[in-house]
Formats: sequence, C-alpha cells, structure tokens
Amino acid sequence: MREISITGGEPLTRKKTALSNKILRELNDLKRKYDNERFSLLPALYLFQREYGWLSAEALEKVGEILGVPKTTVKSVSTFYAMFRHKPMGRHLIQLCTNVSCMIMGCERLTDILKTRYGLGPNATTHDGRFSFLVMECIGVCDIAPAMVVDTDLYGNLTEDSLIGILERYE
Amino acid sequence: MITITIDGKKISFERPVTILDAARAAGIHIPTLCHHDILKPYGGCRLCLVEVEKVPKLQTACSQYVSDGMVVRTETEKVVDARRAVLEFLLINHPLDCPHCDKAGECELQDLAAKYGPAMGRFAEGKRRYPENLEDPLIVRNRERCILCLRCVRMCDDVQGASALSVTGRGSKSYIEPFSGGAYDCEYCGNCLAVCPVGAITSRTHRHGFRPWLMEKEVETVCSYCGVGCSLVLQVRNNSVVRSVPRSGLGLNRGLLCSKGRFGYDCLNYGDRLDAPLMRRNGVLERVTWTEAINCIADRMKEIKRENGSDAIAGIVSGRCTNEDAYVFQKFFRGAIGTNNIDSVAGMAYGPAQRFFEKILVQGVTANPIQGISDSDGIFVIGGDPTAINPVLGLQVRSASKKGVPVIVVGHPGGLKRYSKRAFIMNSAAETVFLAALVDEIKRRRPLPGERPVLEEIINGFRPAPLEDASKMSGFGPNDLVDTAHALSNMSRPSIIIGRDIVQTDTGHMNLLFLAALTYLLNGRIYLLSELPNEQGVLDMGCQPDMLPSGRPLTVETFRKRCEETLGIIIPPAPGLSYAEMTEAAHEGRIKALYVMGEDMVLGLPDSNYVRGALRNIEFLVVQDRFFTETAKYADVVLPALSWAEKEGSYTNLERRIQLTRKAVEGESIEEWKVISEISKTFGLHMGYRSAADIFSEIARVSQIYRELTLEGIADGKSVWPYRGGPLRYDMHTEGTKLPDIVSVMEESGMSGVHVRREAHLFHSQNASRYSPALLSITPEPHLKIGDILADRLSVKDGDRVKVSTDAGSIVLSARRDPCLPDNVVLASTFDGGGIFEITKWRVNPITKAPASDVNGVVIDKEEAITVLHKDRADSLVGG
Repeated sequence: MREISITGGEPLTRKKTALSNKILRELNDLKRKYDNERFSLLPALYLFQREYGWLSAEALEKVGEILGVPKTTVKSVSTFYAMFRHKPMGRHLIQLCTNVSCMIMGCERLTDILKTRYGLGPNATTHDGRFSFLVMECIGVCDIAPAMVVDTDLYGNLTEDSLIGILERYE
Repeated sequence: MITITIDGKKISFERPVTILDAARAAGIHIPTLCHHDILKPYGGCRLCLVEVEKVPKLQTACSQYVSDGMVVRTETEKVVDARRAVLEFLLINHPLDCPHCDKAGECELQDLAAKYGPAMGRFAEGKRRYPENLEDPLIVRNRERCILCLRCVRMCDDVQGASALSVTGRGSKSYIEPFSGGAYDCEYCGNCLAVCPVGAITSRTHRHGFRPWLMEKEVETVCSYCGVGCSLVLQVRNNSVVRSVPRSGLGLNRGLLCSKGRFGYDCLNYGDRLDAPLMRRNGVLERVTWTEAINCIADRMKEIKRENGSDAIAGIVSGRCTNEDAYVFQKFFRGAIGTNNIDSVAGMAYGPAQRFFEKILVQGVTANPIQGISDSDGIFVIGGDPTAINPVLGLQVRSASKKGVPVIVVGHPGGLKRYSKRAFIMNSAAETVFLAALVDEIKRRRPLPGERPVLEEIINGFRPAPLEDASKMSGFGPNDLVDTAHALSNMSRPSIIIGRDIVQTDTGHMNLLFLAALTYLLNGRIYLLSELPNEQGVLDMGCQPDMLPSGRPLTVETFRKRCEETLGIIIPPAPGLSYAEMTEAAHEGRIKALYVMGEDMVLGLPDSNYVRGALRNIEFLVVQDRFFTETAKYADVVLPALSWAEKEGSYTNLERRIQLTRKAVEGESIEEWKVISEISKTFGLHMGYRSAADIFSEIARVSQIYRELTLEGIADGKSVWPYRGGPLRYDMHTEGTKLPDIVSVMEESGMSGVHVRREAHLFHSQNASRYSPALLSITPEPHLKIGDILADRLSVKDGDRVKVSTDAGSIVLSARRDPCLPDNVVLASTFDGGGIFEITKWRVNPITKAPASDVNGVVIDKEEAITVLHKDRADSLVGG
C-alpha cells in the first residue's frame, strides 16, 4: 500500500489545495482501513469536503492521485451523490429540510426569512460569503420538524425567531 | 454439452456462451446497442431482450449465459413490443437531427428505429438541450444525441485503459464528459468515437464531410506510422482519403487504433506535397521534368563513380519505405553502383539490437507475436514507453497489468504510469549500472539454464559493482534493487520490451549485453519497439551495409554467390558504411554522392548541426520524399515520392508479419522503385519490373525468409516469418563479446548535472506527423518535461519557455511539469526539429554504431523577458 507523506514523491503542498498534515494523516488512516484503495474513495471525498467546504476540480484530481484512482472515476462518483458539492460554499452551510414533514410544519416561512433577511435563495451564497443555503430532501428527524443542519449541527422545532437566533451564532 | 433451442433451432455448445453469441452461431440476429464485440457484456440498453421459457421476465441476451435445455425466442410479440418501448424511451431525448448528424447512414439507433421503433417519442415535454461541445481540436461531443450506452466509457476504461471519459451526474441528467468538461486530456486514440453507436462523439477531421453512402471505395491497408502495422480501412471519395477506420475482425489490432492511425491520415491531403522533380541550377532549386532529373542523377553519379570510385556513393532508406522500394534500392546500389554503402534508419538502434540478441541468444528471440505480451507472467520495459511508440502494443502491456501481471519500467513510465509496479527514472550511465546490478542479483536467484555456454561464461565472469555503489549512482535504495531483482526472478515467461533509447547512448552496447543476460536468465522473450512501419522490412530487404536480402552476411562467399546468381549482378565483397559512418564520411568529404530515400536526416539524427555540415559537404545529394524536408533544402535533385496509400507494396512489422499495403488514391508522382529502375537502366542494369508484385516475387526467390510468398498471398495478414521451422539465417558465432567491467562505467561516465533524454511522443512519429494538421492540433510544438523539484528551483510553470543549452548551442522549448521525474533528468520531445537533436553532440557508439540521442550536463534557464526581445530567434529555434 502506498504511503502518503509530505517528503517523499510529489510535494503535495504545491497546488492551491494545500493539504494539511492532519488531512494527510487521516487519508493514510483511511487507506489502511480498506483492502482496496477504491473503497476509501467516498470517505476521502467526505474528508476533503469537510476540510474545504466543497470539492474543486483540483481536489478531485488530488483525491484520485492519492488513492490511485483515475480522476474521471472520482468525478463520476462524486457527481453521482447529491451531497457532494461542486461549487464554492460560504463559511457556513445551511441545509434546510423541505420534505413532507417539514413542509407541513412550515418550512416555507423559514425559507422566506432566509430570502428577506439574508437575501439567500436555494443553492446560493450570501455576498459576504457567510452563508450558503441548500434545500435538503429529508434529513431523517421528522419528529422535530421543521429542521435544519448548519455545518454539522442539527436544529429542530424551528420558528422564525429561533432560526434568526441560531444563525446569529455563526459568523 | 449444453443444448439449447433458439427460435426452434437446436444448437449445442461445449462451454456456456451468452444467448447473444449462441444466437449468432445459429445465424439469428438480435439487435443490440450497448453491446460491442471488443467490450465486456454490460446489459445496459435493454434492446437485446429475449424471451426465455419458464423465466417470467424478458432476459438480456448479451449478458445472460445459456444453460442446458434453455428455450429462447428472439422475435415474439412481447419481445418486439419491449424493443419498441426501449427505442421510444431513447427517442424521448435523442434529437431527430439526422440530416446534419455525421453519423447518419451508419447510426445504429437510426437503423433500429427504422426496423422496430416509432419514428419519434410520444413525450410531450421538450427534449434535453445541451450545446454541442467544440472545445476539443479533434473530438466533438454532442450530449443531446447520447443514449448513455457507456460504450465509450467502457472502451476508455477497460480496453484503452486511459480512463479519460466518465459519466457526470445521475439518472436522466447524467452525461458523458472528459474530466475538464471541455477539451480532452487523453491519448486521442479515438476508440470512443469508433464505438459510439450514435452521433454523440464524432471526429472533427471529417466533420460534415463524411457521408457513408457517398464513399466511392474502401481500401483495406496497413497503417504507416509505427512498427505494429495495424490494419485499417481507408474510405475514399474524389481521390482523397476521407477517413481511416479499423475493423473489429481485421488485422492484429482487432478494431483498435491509436491517435496516429486514426487522425494522422490527413498528412496524405497535406497541401505542400512535392509534385514535380526539382533540380539545383545556379544554386536555386527549379522544377524540371522527370527525364531531366533522372539524366542528371545518372550523369553525376557516373561521374563521381568514375572519379572517386563506387564507395564514394551511398544510399539511405527510411523505415517508411515499402519492402519493394527498399529491395530495388539496395539492388541498384549493389548491382549498378557497385557499393555496399546502404543503410537505413533501422541501422541506428532497431537493427543492431536485433542482430545482437539473435546472435547471442537464439534466432527469433526478438520475433514474437504482439498478442503474446498479455499472456506473459511479467513485463520488463526499458528504453521507451510502449504506449507512446507502439500504442496498440502498449495496450497489451496494460491488459496484462490489469490481470495482475507485474510491470517493471526502467525509464519514464509515460502511459504505463498507473499500470507499472515500479518505475525507475535515471540518467543513461546509471541505467547501465542499474541493469548490471539487476543481472548480478538475478544470477544469485536463478540457476543458469545451460543452453548457451558462451553467454554463461560471460555472465559468470562478470564483476559487478558493489550494490551500495550501484544504488548510490542510480539514486535508488539497495532495497529497491533487491526487490526488483526478486520480482524479476519470480517471472517464468516474462516479456522484455526494449525501446531504442537504451541503444542510442554511450553505454548502449553494454545495455544490450546486460539485457541479453537478463533475458537469458529469465527465459524471456524480447519485443523491440519500432518507431517506423517497416524497420524490419528494410533490414530483411538487405538495406544493411553487411547483410544481403534475408539477413545473410555478405562476407560469406556462398551466400553472396547465390545472391549474385539469382539476381544476375556482381556484389562487392567488402561491407559498406553504416548510417552513422556514412554521415561521418560525408562530414569528412569521403562520401561524394548520397541518395536519401524518404528520410529526413537533419531531424532524424542527433546533432542536427553536425548533420547539416555533413550534407553541405556532399557534392551531389538526391532526396526522394513526399515533402520538402529539412534535408531536401541541401539537395541537388529532389524527387517527389508517393505515400503508402498511393502505391502497392508490403510492410514487415516488428513481429515479422508481412502485410500488404494497398493503393487507395492516385498520387501525383511515380513509384520510387520505378524511378530507381529508370536510373539503374542508364547504368546498364535492367530490372524490368512491371509491378510491385513482380518485385515481391523476386524477393521471394532471393530471400529465404520470404520464400514462396506472393504479394496477393500475404493479403490475409497471416504471413509471419520465420515459418515452417527451417533455419532461416546464418547462425553467427559470438566472439569477442564480454561483459564490461562495470566499475569503469561508473568512473568514466562523468554524468553529473542535468541529463536530457529523448521522449518519443504519442502524438508524433518522427517527422511524418509534422505534416498532419490533426496531430499538430493536439501538440503543436515540442516540449521539455521537467520534474517538480527542478521546476520549483527554476520557478517554471506549465507552458513557460525554458532555454536548454549545451556547448553545441541552445534551444527554447515550452515546459511541462511532470511529477515522475527526478531532478537530474529531463525529457525532450524531438518532433518538428525543435527537440534536443539541435544541441546533442555527435557521439557514435563504436560497437553498435548507434548515434547517441541523449545529452548530459545541460543548463536549463527560464526564459523571461528575453523571449520577447529575441522572439524571432526563439521562434526560429523552436520551429527548426
């Protein structure tokens, strides 16, 4: 199995997607976890998305290079899944559910607030780069509908006021 | 035994086959879209659905295997209904723009819709709209027409192994694209457009210019770019080749082609072809008639022969000449001029390497079928990237690698990067030391077979360098060496693939000996990469200074006498000069007249300045070529030549397959052999050939290895020599060969600093591709590949201009960063005259007589503002 290290082989820090030692370590751990390097493709993509917020063409190329998977395959896999993002995102990502339960419980009011208060429509980013907003299909917490995920934090039973209050915490 | 019933017909099979194959065997046609003979079963399009008794659902014939007692029906109402439905679904999105689709007339969807389907879908909603993508210079993608059968993706991944195409997105919104989404970054084999059943991927070279029903003829012939000799079909209209395509059942390439074979045919239609002889009068080349040109050649050559003797005249043949042209050429030189000064481009590396291996190992050790590579249990590649030099042979290496066969590369892995276990890149002196260390390590692991005492004596007597020294010099750890030797020792029938760069270097003769030892110890078979279509052929024809047709040494009197009797000529007994020696002799003024057939010496030989000097010193230079080449600029008479598609003839490929090249179009010139026999007539040697077939029958009479063959008889592409088991060549004794003292190599090499090596380019083939606009559109200029460490040190980005200098001068090239390269080796492509041959020093290996193609101790600078100030100069250097 090929080890990834900063010193050997191609210097990984060259390109714009500078890789931190931390992410490299995690990638190495990932590769050790699976027999086949292809198996670590999805977790590796998640890792990159967590680190950079989205998957740039360069990131896809890099993942392919590190795992020894053709970059076209990486692109094909990553574009198949809706939760991989392929354009730059704001500092914080709001993923608001608009599926049946949340719709019944009034998620439309929440999307209106995002529009009026932050000028934020679905699949858009605020001008200051603070928030991006993605409309989600069911996030699996119908019991606390309407619900959303901001970055990796889950919020439920949302009202107009609580939404604003929560978002104020994310700068 | 499996017996099944298809549409009432009973048919039996030894092994399970797919229902589709079974139906074909029974003569029943089942329509398919995603299925392709080259590709694995996929079952994606659902068009091949058939009814199988006792199975409730319809089954896909392409992926379902037969079992005993199966009853299959292929054209029931249910089946036809399902097919119609599938086609209607496809027509939901497939536009009906057939009138201006390049695929019309040979579109599989069109044919199927005509047979089964509705003319259009019932879907009221609009069709999916995407603009046609014209970003790529050669390949047009139309996503609207795509039916997502994935033939192209599977071809690219599974067969070509380039993985340049993939599906983006999901479901009905998915589409096929290269990684960039626009232009391709791939090998341009074009196999994706060949398998596309609709007009989604089409070629730009004949865009809106190809209509299958308007083609006047199709001519089966052999590609003229490299030594593999792929079969292809030239489609002709108005005396011009409109397209070249492979056929899945035809030739050794089995439906595959590379970039050169698929797109490079356009050099046939290149505008600046020579169409009349030129003769130098008062220093200027003027158009003259054939009679004037031929008389001039005859008069001047006779004059030089009279004054300076026959050996002041020499001839050089290109590896692109047909067997017939090459044969007549050597016959003219031996019989009419009376000299053995004949050599070819193959004399630089391919010839010496082959001769050496066959001499020291065994006859025929370099003659192996290409298909055998994928059956070997290990592959060792050295001296060149097979996927660039002989791409279709390279695919065999990839296919072996996919099966788990270990591939070890010494040199830049190029297209084998993802397919090789290890790749070792170093300078040429280090390679020799590395090889020596490998031989020594393998010797300890594998017993000597006891077959060739001479070679065993050499191997036993050889003193290797200490492992530590070898590892220090090559830049790889001792463990790397030991591991590689271990991996090689585990192979029982490896393929050893050898490119010419291992020969064309100062230590080339040692490399050959080490490789022979390696092959012997490992029981390997050798594949010599050949960059030209007929290197083997010109050797076979006797275009060698010391060999007669059929590879028999001319110094052996019985062979010479037999040849003289058969041909009715007198052959001088002393060997002539080799290609490199001729160039040296010309430089020193000993060669007064030179006849160059099809070769561009200035661009083809290392150290262009030296070659230019040599050409200037020649009193009378004749160049016979399709184009006005760099060499032709120095000529006294320039004769136009015919391309391979404009005449009949034969090529012998690197596996010794003798193949027929057919005439597809009329050229504006006369066959080379006709011109030479006209000149020969003035010397009193009447050849009297009426056709290429006449010449071939004479070849078959004089040459043991072509005996009993006829030009018509080789048309099936199955004539491979050596055949019928008889000895074909004189078994040569191995004398005076000894393994070098490797310590002295290390001391004398003096290789420090940056080492430039030649890179054989995938999209270019020596100088012929200079005249193909399509190939030039992919890579318009030569470049220099620089490793990341060196590039960072020079702060060079992709596309920056760098100046490469040696004592001999400097050239400016466009830089490409390459993460594989170490900091002391850079690669330069040599096509189009801008390559390293401008700055290589003339060094000829005294044993192999091969001129060295690498250069050591170069200085690389980034060209900053100077490029703008001296732009003209830079351009002239880059442009040659």
